[in-house]
Amino acid sequence: MTLIVAGPTGTVEHDGGQFHPEQQARIFSVMDGVRALELHDEIVYPPVPKAELDELARVHSITYLRELEAFCEQGGGDIDPDTYARPDSWVAARRAAGAGLAAISALEAHGDGIAFVPVRPPGHHAERDRAMGFCLLNNVAVAAASLTAKGQRVLIVDWDVHHGNGTQSIFWDDPNVLYVSTHQYPLYPGTGAASEVGGPNAIGLTVNVPLPASATGDVVRASVDRVARPTIERFSPDWVLVSCGFDAHKADPLSELALSSGDFAELARLVNEFTPRPGRLALFLEGGYNQVALQTSVAATLGALLGIDTHPSEPTYGGPGMDALRHIASEQERAIDLSHALPGRSEEHA
Amino acid sequence: MSRIESIVVGFDGSNDSRTALRWAADLATLAGARLRIVHAVGLLEHAGLGTTIEIHREKAVQTATDAGLSLADIEWSVVDGDPCSALLRMTEAPESADLVVVGTRGSNAKSGSILGSTSLELAERSTVPVVIVPTETLDSANHHN
Repeated sequence: MTLIVAGPTGTVEHDGGQFHPEQQARIFSVMDGVRALELHDEIVYPPVPKAELDELARVHSITYLRELEAFCEQGGGDIDPDTYARPDSWVAARRAAGAGLAAISALEAHGDGIAFVPVRPPGHHAERDRAMGFCLLNNVAVAAASLTAKGQRVLIVDWDVHHGNGTQSIFWDDPNVLYVSTHQYPLYPGTGAASEVGGPNAIGLTVNVPLPASATGDVVRASVDRVARPTIERFSPDWVLVSCGFDAHKADPLSELALSSGDFAELARLVNEFTPRPGRLALFLEGGYNQVALQTSVAATLGALLGIDTHPSEPTYGGPGMDALRHIASEQERAIDLSHALPGRSEEHA
Repeated sequence: MSRIESIVVGFDGSNDSRTALRWAADLATLAGARLRIVHAVGLLEHAGLGTTIEIHREKAVQTATDAGLSLADIEWSVVDGDPCSALLRMTEAPESADLVVVGTRGSNAKSGSILGSTSLELAERSTVPVVIVPTETLDSANHHN
């Protein structure tokens, strides 16, 4: 199977300094994980152009885009206590978003394989008109919107430890995007309760599985397999995009879930079951701030999809949260039942 | 206009947020209202890479009691999220507030830009009245000290 790597981006630009956890070193660790696969020249690296304004405007307001560009041109600064922009961050963010588009194009051209998008800044916290949580432009949303513009139905699985508030809000009422998130809760950004299930035209197409601190990999996998699977199978996606943060790893300094690199391998295999055919899976780097965990988790994730054993750590079991999954599943089923009862929703979206 | 019973004020430890807190505490004292001080915790602070929450709490409560409020009239809340969203969550159902107070600029925002301005974003999105307290001059700061 072909591995397409659309990136890396953010290796030099968008410099937050050595004390900010969202730093260039992350990308080098991620690429060490790619190199651990020992695929060498077999990896396809497509050209990564900057995303154009009209491509970004599918998910961001023009006003916000102009403001961000001007903010960077004027020297940048801190946007909130977590999020910074530098003079070159506008270009870096456009390249990160463009990488996702390049990954989709490469998959379409090959008709086979998987795509990995190792980029920074990350994207899933960026909303339509605001940057936050280290994110400037929502990379996975830009890619998903390019597909829905062509009539495709997109599943976004977000296993970053933080809820992807930006992605959720952008597709909140979009019946062509199913957003599934597993995340520690409560935790930044404070959204992602199980009761958040989508807008009037997409009820049940937002699936949040909030998990307690110390939850282990078995709980995260059960979240996808038991809670989200019925909705995913009913939705029947044409494409599967993954917001694959690796900050749910137990060594990550920004959160308290307890996954191992082996858990990410298992998660990747599980999510791959939802792809309708080869060449329809792309994984977008989001968070992950422990360099060793990043390297081993990237290798484990991609290795699992490509059938390469990178000898990851054993999957984890026995953490809290399993008991709450039944309640979350019930809430989702009620929301889906409600969507069936709503007038104006076509059968194909039910 | 109905009586002001609950005031939410954002506090991030910056001088501007302390000015806003003083103003909100004075108003709460005059109105006999409850003062709910909200501190938003972002990614870095959660990781212990920012100022510790306890230091913020001590400063905030001291500022409010200096204005004449009793501890029983003060509520300290730590909320996950960006400052604007955290403040909005504390004013919307199931929470409620009659007024939300913020400083002109937090500890991070860049003067002259809409981007990163909690106060401007809050004014646009809030469903309850917003008071933006201007940056304190050196003279008035000395008056308080």
